[in-house]
Amino acid sequence: MTKSQLITIKGTKDGLVLRLDDHCAFTELLSELKEKVQSSVLEGVSEVQLHLGHRYCDEKDMNKIQSVIHTSPHLRVSKVHSDVISLKECERKLIEKQSETYIGIVRSGQVVKADGDLVIIGDVNQSAQVIAGGSIYVLGRVKGIAHAGAQGNKDAVIAASWLEATHLKIADKIEIMTDELTILSEQPEMECAYLQKNGQIAIDRLQELRYLRPDLATFKGGI
Amino acid sequence: MGEAIVITSGKGGVGKTTTSANLGTALALQGKKVCLVDTDIGLRNLDVILGLENRIIYDLVDVVEERCKVHQALVKDKRFEDRLFLLPAAQTTDKSAVNPEQMKKLVLELKQDYDYVLIDCPAGIEQGFKNAISGADRAIVVTTPEISAVRDADRIIGLLEAEEELEPPKLIINRIRSGMMESGETLDVNEITTHLSIDLLGIVMDDQNVISASNKGEPVVMDPTNPAAIGYRNIARRILGESVPLMTMEKSKAGFFGKIKNMFSK
Repeated sequence: MTKSQLITIKGTKDGLVLRLDDHCAFTELLSELKEKVQSSVLEGVSEVQLHLGHRYCDEKDMNKIQSVIHTSPHLRVSKVHSDVISLKECERKLIEKQSETYIGIVRSGQVVKADGDLVIIGDVNQSAQVIAGGSIYVLGRVKGIAHAGAQGNKDAVIAASWLEATHLKIADKIEIMTDELTILSEQPEMECAYLQKNGQIAIDRLQELRYLRPDLATFKGGI
Repeated sequence: MGEAIVITSGKGGVGKTTTSANLGTALALQGKKVCLVDTDIGLRNLDVILGLENRIIYDLVDVVEERCKVHQALVKDKRFEDRLFLLPAAQTTDKSAVNPEQMKKLVLELKQDYDYVLIDCPAGIEQGFKNAISGADRAIVVTTPEISAVRDADRIIGLLEAEEELEPPKLIINRIRSGMMESGETLDVNEITTHLSIDLLGIVMDDQNVISASNKGEPVVMDPTNPAAIGYRNIARRILGESVPLMTMEKSKAGFFGKIKNMFSK
């Protein structure tokens, strides 16, 4: 063979790793992939991790690659690694990480929205709404409606100095804060709401957040 | 150049019109030149409470549509020489007969001649409300110690705060029953002001004479011993810039007992 290999296959304890060359033409890559997939001697079903390197693949390209791999009954794609993302995706991720601050009282009928995290300095009054793509932090009383992770982020939380909202929403889960709920405390001071693994919204002391959602911390460096 | 103050509440029946009539009268009693503007087109009441209904010839819509001059439509309250006037609302049409620009122009014109232009706002947040606030410099929000009234006040304050031309609104808590407030059956003054977090302009006690006085067409504020009247007079003095301490519940109680005493002494 004169040309260098475009695809290298490696076996690891987590299954096969397929490293795809990121410099050649996409069609070349596909044809070699087809060959490799057909010729490889395999038994049973192996999980395959794809490493795309610096090649940017949109959804269409990804589907093509996957359908080629899935022509072999022995292979199943479990993970896709890529060193690049599109600018658009990057921006979306940045925005979700960003924090917006609102100072003042969110009054009945008003809606305050943020793409990322939302910090409210003031109260959220009855039938007012605060909606965030990320988490919601309120330095004040939440007496209205709070919706965290509005774009589907299940790790988002709602934390407040005084959490007595009428409705709490995290991702697509809604909880109506009626008196019958046992999770409600008499003095809802310094509390946070989060989505449990079982899909239920739970409320805990604010201090527990560091154990419940350690990834919320962005502070780096030691003491 | 005078000042235009809109009196609003969101919810109906909390005492906007009564407050407008009484504050207007109280300011006139203090020697100020006052013009009351009723913007509740189609459901006008202010003229009745002031006892001026039978003197109306032209109304706000006539002025706006230039069927008459402003001074022709103004109804003078003869009890206050040349200090208290009313621009009545039309009764035969509705809120859409006027738009905010027209109101702005009208209020600006009135401000030239009067110290205070008090605008009585209709209930709701629609056209009538938008008309009423369009010409105002300041806003007074009236609420009662009921959760529903406080909720609507909250909504209205939100809308008023969004208006850049308006100063931050001030609050009047109307129809306070000291007994119920002390026993915790209604929200107390503190709870309401913390919840709405705007400056409290004053409180007014609930008093049955307010209703009977309104029915007679004589605002209650003209009776200097009435507890509700004292509340309105204090508010008028605060509007004029005086610092008047807030009426305490105990004081009002004394007033209440005093009233019983008066009843027996009659």
